[in-house]
Amino acid sequence: MSRQRRTLVPWLFILPGFGFLLLVGLYPLVFTFVTSFERYHLDTIYLGTPFVGFDNYIDSLRSSLFIGAMLRTGFFVLVALPVEMVLGLGIAFLLDRPRNDGLRAFTRVILVLPIATTPVVVGLFGALIFNTQFGVVNYLVGLAGIRPVDWLGSPTLAMVSVFALQVWQWTPFVALVMLATLATIPVEMEDAFFLESNSWLKRLRHIRLPYLIPGLTAAAIFQTAYMIKLFDMIYTLTRGGPGESTDLISLQMERLSFRAFDAGQAAAESVIMLVVTLVLSQLYIRFFYREPEA
Amino acid sequence: MHIRSGSGRSLLAAALSAAFLLGSALSAFAAGEREAASSANDYQGTTITVVGLDRPSYAAAQKLTPQFEQQTGIKVNWAIYPYESTLKEETLNFVSQSQQFDVILTDVVWPGVFGQADWVVPVRHFLDNTALTKPDFDMSDFIPIWLKAFTWGDKLLGIPFDSYSGLLYYNKAMLRDAGFSGPPKTWDDLLNVYAPRLTDRAKGVYAFALQSRRGETQSCDAFARFLWPWGGEFLDPATFQPEVTSASAKAGIEFRQKLLQYMPDGIVNDDHGEVVQLLAQGKVAMITEWSSFYATLVDPSQSKIVNDLGVTTEPAGPSGAVPAFGGFAYMVSSQIPEKLQNASWLFIQWLTSKEMAKPLIENGAVVARISADGDPANQAQYPYLAPMVDSWKTTTDIFRPRFPEWPQLSEITSNWGTQIELGQVTVDQGLQNISDEFKKVLGDAGYYSGTKPKIE
Repeated sequence: MSRQRRTLVPWLFILPGFGFLLLVGLYPLVFTFVTSFERYHLDTIYLGTPFVGFDNYIDSLRSSLFIGAMLRTGFFVLVALPVEMVLGLGIAFLLDRPRNDGLRAFTRVILVLPIATTPVVVGLFGALIFNTQFGVVNYLVGLAGIRPVDWLGSPTLAMVSVFALQVWQWTPFVALVMLATLATIPVEMEDAFFLESNSWLKRLRHIRLPYLIPGLTAAAIFQTAYMIKLFDMIYTLTRGGPGESTDLISLQMERLSFRAFDAGQAAAESVIMLVVTLVLSQLYIRFFYREPEA
Repeated sequence: MHIRSGSGRSLLAAALSAAFLLGSALSAFAAGEREAASSANDYQGTTITVVGLDRPSYAAAQKLTPQFEQQTGIKVNWAIYPYESTLKEETLNFVSQSQQFDVILTDVVWPGVFGQADWVVPVRHFLDNTALTKPDFDMSDFIPIWLKAFTWGDKLLGIPFDSYSGLLYYNKAMLRDAGFSGPPKTWDDLLNVYAPRLTDRAKGVYAFALQSRRGETQSCDAFARFLWPWGGEFLDPATFQPEVTSASAKAGIEFRQKLLQYMPDGIVNDDHGEVVQLLAQGKVAMITEWSSFYATLVDPSQSKIVNDLGVTTEPAGPSGAVPAFGGFAYMVSSQIPEKLQNASWLFIQWLTSKEMAKPLIENGAVVARISADGDPANQAQYPYLAPMVDSWKTTTDIFRPRFPEWPQLSEITSNWGTQIELGQVTVDQGLQNISDEFKKVLGDAGYYSGTKPKIE
């Protein structure tokens, strides 16, 4: 086999996979980008899809629905993410190196259950749990002598309900990532630390945090992206209501695309959100991500 | 004599002519039956996919479908969707030309979407085909407003099925206990006389519940319902200028705000299912809901008020009674092969035939056949039928516009409608926003520049 052919062979092997990736990854992205510059109404597509320049982007940035949904999504991430991180970290510390291996295995299974539950089902269960008349939350509230609370009918409480279900479902994910990260800390390093100090805070700051930060950054990026595209759970719980109180950006885009059939503007909104997600990811990496020193 | 003999000849000729005509008619009828039967046999082994909703009429249709399959040998697949997803699924089916669906379901507000795009075959194409359409498929037996509702331009696009009117359902026992011998006749009475006496927040019982969830439920059930009886309307039919800021429209929406105090908290998030259950569980005394929900309310497994259920026409407003108008029709996709189109028509013809009307009603469906809905025996057995038929006489087929832009207008209406209901914007501001956004959509569509005809 000539040298030239030997160089070519590896490329031939990766070509099918590369082609598949292009097809399923790049094509929709390019299609969305192109569509965002067109008047692309699904219900009147027979009239053509003329190029409209930046009109869809301008309309999006002028739309109170889009700006409102963006702000709501931002607020949701800002509140839910730190809570998930703190609770997840706390659970990980509690479960780290317990004496009982059986309990440890059991709790890890318990942690996987919420993550494994389909978001649609979480939303449906949520609708039952937070039901004003028959819900278990109001039953518990009633035991304390408080009148039934209208969880899903009040704009503020509906958002609280969405927030509670999000934290319930995804805090275990942060906890599992943190548990895995804690397992990477060399035992010798911690043992050496104990020779000098018993302080839990100092141990956290000087030994554990440097190892935890890459995991925390990864979990934060993953969760931020997830919350920005959060759709199915809210759709089945409140469908973005009451009014637009739980209308996060993905619900707004779905409504625009498949109810008002304005796929052009919805594509423009998608591109804007893609840019926001990429910028946020870069910010996380720049400001939080640190490789532990060897 | 001449006259008599002439008369005799005339009589004989007339008798012969009559016999000939009758014979011709009978043989034509028999031939039609044979043709229809033989044409049905031509489609044996064909499979068609029918779009349906998760509502009682489609459950009834599914239950009876094996009869059609047995008669024709055509296999029917039902694709059942929640209402909110149906237009999306069907539009994507057409845009992608996936030929996923053969028998298309249209809401009363979608004929413009399907008709303007030529995505469906006009009904006349099949009615003119005597090999496919039985002579006794009596089009004059359909309630006229329904045929009008599914006509786009001058073409009838679908055959009515699952045809509703808004009705006032009430709990007789709750009204009796509050000292009322019957339901309110006007919205004004409902608000000022009935509601205060039927609401006890401490006990968690309320006079009324209005399905208000954002989406078509808000724009039709919770918004349009309070426009028309007050003399309001969405658009001026001549100019297409929005009319939602008129004094009449404002009066209706302000009335709705006043009524909220007699409804359960959080009603803005409630859809059809929730308010039907509020009535069924004895939590509210009255609801205005589609006739299709009668089946749910008399089902003992879903309702506690089966014996106390009352049903009548919706209350009248200052401009009279204009009950909510909504419902569906079946159409044939124009994107599928002719054989499938014909098999689809055979199914639609069977489902909406006179013969099937009674069995469908018995199984919980609502139909738009005069012979079934107007039959005194049926009306005695199913008390919702008489008020439903009465409602169709006083309502309007443009309760909501039917042009292709309606889905966009519906989104606008439901967005601001829910915000008005929640008190997040004033009635004036909300209606002004609806008006401004309507103008932009209709202007962009070309209605004001004259490039698009003003068909509502």
